[in-house]
Amino acid sequence: MYKQIKDKLTGDLLPIIQRVSDGAGIPFDPDNTDYQAFLLWKSEGNTPQPADEVTQ
Amino acid sequence: MSYGQVNADVIGTSVAGSNLGAGNASIMKNRLINGDFKISQYNGTSSVTPTSSGYQIDRWNFQLSQSSKYSLQQNAGSVTPPVGFANYLGITSLSAYTVGASEQFGVFQAIEGFNTADLGWGTANAKTVTLSFQVYSSLTGTFGGSIRNSGTSRSYPFSYSISVANTWTSISITIAGDTSGTWVGATNGIGLYLTFGFGVGSTLSGTAGSWSGNNYISATGATSVVGTNGATFYITGVQLEVGSSATGFEYRQYGQELALCQRYYQYIQTSASNDRLMVGNSYNSTITTFIYSYKVTMRSAPTVAVPNLGAVLNENVAWYIPTSYTVSATNVNNAIIAANLSSSGFGTNNFAWWGQTGSSVLTVTVSAEL
Repeated sequence: MYKQIKDKLTGDLLPIIQRVSDGAGIPFDPDNTDYQAFLLWKSEGNTPQPADEVTQ
Repeated sequence: MSYGQVNADVIGTSVAGSNLGAGNASIMKNRLINGDFKISQYNGTSSVTPTSSGYQIDRWNFQLSQSSKYSLQQNAGSVTPPVGFANYLGITSLSAYTVGASEQFGVFQAIEGFNTADLGWGTANAKTVTLSFQVYSSLTGTFGGSIRNSGTSRSYPFSYSISVANTWTSISITIAGDTSGTWVGATNGIGLYLTFGFGVGSTLSGTAGSWSGNNYISATGATSVVGTNGATFYITGVQLEVGSSATGFEYRQYGQELALCQRYYQYIQTSASNDRLMVGNSYNSTITTFIYSYKVTMRSAPTVAVPNLGAVLNENVAWYIPTSYTVSATNVNNAIIAANLSSSGFGTNNFAWWGQTGSSVLTVTVSAEL
């Protein structure tokens, strides 16, 4: 399971995904094997949880 | 006085028959990292029974088609390592498992393309390499492994014999470089896989001693370590070098080997109360943001985790225990990590430390494994 992350200043989605099981941050880097695992998970029809809304 | 002669990759010396290079150089002779298993950031000296495939000791990735069929440990069994070594990888079989045709148990090291590109594999100029190691097992017989390309469309199964049980045996295997197939060049991708099998099914096993267009992980007929309950398999001094004969193991300084491993994985933890790993500042009373610089430049932008949250110190006045963390950026040099607090005495833009108070340790892991 994965979760999107938003920039707390702009509210924009960041190019990083959070692995829910341990909170790890996984960058959108095709050379990163955890990102490759995320892409595989997504290709199987899964959808990451939406990011928390940013509160000022 | 005579002087040496310099050729393309060989430096002759004034001593007859003595050369540097072409397998005798002492720098980057061994294309493997942690071939003597002295670096163990993942599990230290603890025994681990893996339930899924993955890295358990630096640079070595353990494969298993079924969970909990073997345990692994740095210096398992506490036997005396071979002369010149202090550490080894120890595998212990936990059952008498019959390996299925498409199943595999073993350990591999994926060598980065930057460190194999000069081998010229996949070209007519492919260089010969020699694999050498020391092995010790409660079993005797023929064992196996392989070298594969990143796409696993080329493989070279190899076999070796252990004729005396529970005795360190030196093995040397010379492999003519592959002139076919696609091999990754000078990139941060996988240059080649070197695998040692602990039990590999027939579909994934091939004839030893020649290149194949199949994904062979081991040699046909190799002994299955996981097939015998309590069987042990220990290995160290693993070296892969250019040339047609094995030379002495390339010893590296501890700090040098650790830094080589840290390009792929870093485990950093505070060791005492008041230790601090990061400085940052507060965004508001519940979010404090830090920059974390890695020990060495990573192979690629890494995955960053904080398995132990430690504590955040506000302006050197009071410690607060985070409830969670968020990684908002990570590149090959550093990461930006937020410590999330349920409440604190932080205002906006207060100076902050992230570290340990009391027994609340802070641990950061950074992974860019192949």
